[in-house]
Amino acid sequence: MPSRRRTLLKVIILGDSGVGKTSLMNQYVNKKFTNQYKATIGADFLTKEVQFEDRLFTLQIWDTAGQERFQSLGVAFYRGADCCVLCYDVNVMKSFDNLNNWREEFLIQASPSDPENFPFVVLGNKIDVDGGNSRVVSEKKARAWCASKGNIPYFETSAKDGTNVEEAFQCIAKNALKTGEEEELYLPDTIDVASSSQQRSTGCEC
Amino acid sequence: MKPDGPRQQIQPASLSRNLSRSDDDDDQNPNPNPNPPSIDQSLDAIENQLSSISMFQPDSLSEPRMESEELVNGSFDEIEELPAKPAGVEEEEKLKASSSRVWTNASEMEEVESPSSPSSSGYAGERGSSATSGIDNGDFDRVPDSLVPWTPGKRHGDEDDASISWRKRKKHFFILSHSGKPIYSRYGDEHKLAGFSATLQAIISFVENGGDHVKLVRAGKHQVVFLVKGPIYLVCISCTEEPYESLRGQLELLHGQMVLILTKSVNRCFEKNPKFDMTPLLGGTDVVFSSLIHSFSWNPATFLHAYTCLPLAYATRQAAGAILQDVADSGVLFAILMCRHKVISLVGAQKESLHPDDMLLLSNFVMSSESFRTSESFSPICLPRYNPMAFLFAYVHYLDVDTYLILLTTSSDAFYRLKDCRIRIETVLLKSNVLVEVQKSMLEGGMHVEDLSIDSASRSGPVSPHSSQSRLATDSTERLRDAFNGVGGPAGLWHFMYRSIYLNQYVSSEFSSTINSTQQQKKLYRAYLKLYASMHKKGIGPDKTQFRRDENYVMLCWVTQDFELYAAFDPLADKALAIKVCNRVCQWVKDVENEIFLLGASPFSW
Repeated sequence: MPSRRRTLLKVIILGDSGVGKTSLMNQYVNKKFTNQYKATIGADFLTKEVQFEDRLFTLQIWDTAGQERFQSLGVAFYRGADCCVLCYDVNVMKSFDNLNNWREEFLIQASPSDPENFPFVVLGNKIDVDGGNSRVVSEKKARAWCASKGNIPYFETSAKDGTNVEEAFQCIAKNALKTGEEEELYLPDTIDVASSSQQRSTGCEC
Repeated sequence: MKPDGPRQQIQPASLSRNLSRSDDDDDQNPNPNPNPPSIDQSLDAIENQLSSISMFQPDSLSEPRMESEELVNGSFDEIEELPAKPAGVEEEEKLKASSSRVWTNASEMEEVESPSSPSSSGYAGERGSSATSGIDNGDFDRVPDSLVPWTPGKRHGDEDDASISWRKRKKHFFILSHSGKPIYSRYGDEHKLAGFSATLQAIISFVENGGDHVKLVRAGKHQVVFLVKGPIYLVCISCTEEPYESLRGQLELLHGQMVLILTKSVNRCFEKNPKFDMTPLLGGTDVVFSSLIHSFSWNPATFLHAYTCLPLAYATRQAAGAILQDVADSGVLFAILMCRHKVISLVGAQKESLHPDDMLLLSNFVMSSESFRTSESFSPICLPRYNPMAFLFAYVHYLDVDTYLILLTTSSDAFYRLKDCRIRIETVLLKSNVLVEVQKSMLEGGMHVEDLSIDSASRSGPVSPHSSQSRLATDSTERLRDAFNGVGGPAGLWHFMYRSIYLNQYVSSEFSSTINSTQQQKKLYRAYLKLYASMHKKGIGPDKTQFRRDENYVMLCWVTQDFELYAAFDPLADKALAIKVCNRVCQWVKDVENEIFLLGASPFSW
């Protein structure tokens, strides 16, 4: 419980296996990249402190496993998320087609209070591969999909050379922060003398 | 202190065998009827039962002397604790029985994530990745925290789960929300531990997804204990070898402390918005939690669920109680006068009762918050056992450096009325010399085991530690201590705790010179914790005794419907004498109960 007010933002990264979720996160947090592929088991967690408009806040990044066998973890992982990052590989059409499923699955599981305006960010990763020659999803197509889902911000990234990674996460932080602003009212009761004896809950079990 | 040496274990299988065995041992009884008729019959009865049970005596003193016997009121019953079993088995069995999941092997957690390899998913990163490795640290060095006097507030706030020092801490406590957001960590910075916090939530939620609950994970020397309270998750990671039940009880109290500060109404905020961040609401209360956690290692109230009184002459306590009663009649819900963690007097409005746990949490809140000391205060607080959903208002004022008055009310505008009450109370307390007596008692301390006389013909101890009679009076009586070559009380008695069940109060002796360091006192409390946990498992009758010897202590416990006695002796103490001394302790407590307990007009309604 820090005395200085700090905000913690929970960010979930979703997308098919192998699109580079872990690499994006690793590039962002540790500025490192490896070509070796290791599947994420369940989920991995990273934290990064970010300065944004004179405020310090912490991103709690939930890097999830893309494999279907881990999808049962849904509710547990998505609960209380401040932002959801949808990733696909611009060289794999299927990973783009699945964005819709990922988005809907997230909305069902996390059931945010205002699903229409829940902050998503879409990242098209691996734009560096083969100099862009093996690309199958055009930027135009991706942007059109994002527009149709309530103007989701879109970034084309390369986890390998770091292109747009910092910018994407700045946007993620900004969007997560925007919805985090609304404060919940905390109004506990006080005891009414007349009814207090009835209200007493777990009084005497010893 | 693994009692895997020679030990006696009695199975419940055949009652007849046990009975005949008792008979056989009768002639070996070293102490058939040591009590004169003046001693309480029940004491004699239990003593006879105890002494009629055969003892295992080691063949020679050069052997490691370890034995463990547990007996249940004459008829041998199930052994509650089996220390010779490999670690983990006991918990596993218990948890299986309660249809909950337990992982006894850290490797199972790899389903959630790999505990020991932060780079399992391709990270080259040095820090901040998977954090479960903190509980898988086989090569565990102890950080000698106990050598440093306890200082309030967050320590080691710069650490995170990547710090070696953080991983070596013996006992961690975490509070987090059901979305994995950190709320409190005993050590380290909550925000830097966000990844670790997320891991804990993932483990809890993963098991919950399977319609189950995780209670305990054992990983080497470490126990990871989980407690789910609605949207609030509490976790303790400990290598202190405290029993699971004790650690779980500590998490319950930690949650209670949070409820005391905020009420359970915060749950509603989480229902409406799972993203809810409650840390701003708890701002500045770090010290309250760390002080409570510290008290787990020194305050018996945290596991006895009873409160203790400052020893005072009966008339003095009566005088204090009378003036408190006076204000309670004028619209105060509870009036509590305390000296540090000890009660001087307390009264409640008609039919209202106060739970000892609430008193513990309330006094911890008041004592740990520095601002209460500097001025009179009026603060909303919630008593979790009284009404967890709603606030009361506490008027708090320190009468001297250790003594403080708490007046609880339901009305938020009562400050000035309570201030007047306080002035009235303070005047009376000064006039009747109560505060001076309180200071005197603080200096003198409570019951000293050295003062216990074993001469059964006279009274068991000094008539009163606070009467005009000097302790020297007992010097003329026979003291077994002289015959025994140790320090402490007779028969090697080092310390005892006596809990009166119907009063919900306990008295704990002062530590004898054999246990004078905090380190030794902590160790003794952990031994008591084990003893307490083994005596309070379900399915055991109300009357039971336990005699346990290991290389550190002889521990003797006696639980009846009226009281519980826990005593620690020199490990070389003679069993029959120890039993005899325990009877004397009970008699002694009865003799001075007017002074060590708050009697009559008790607001405790059970």
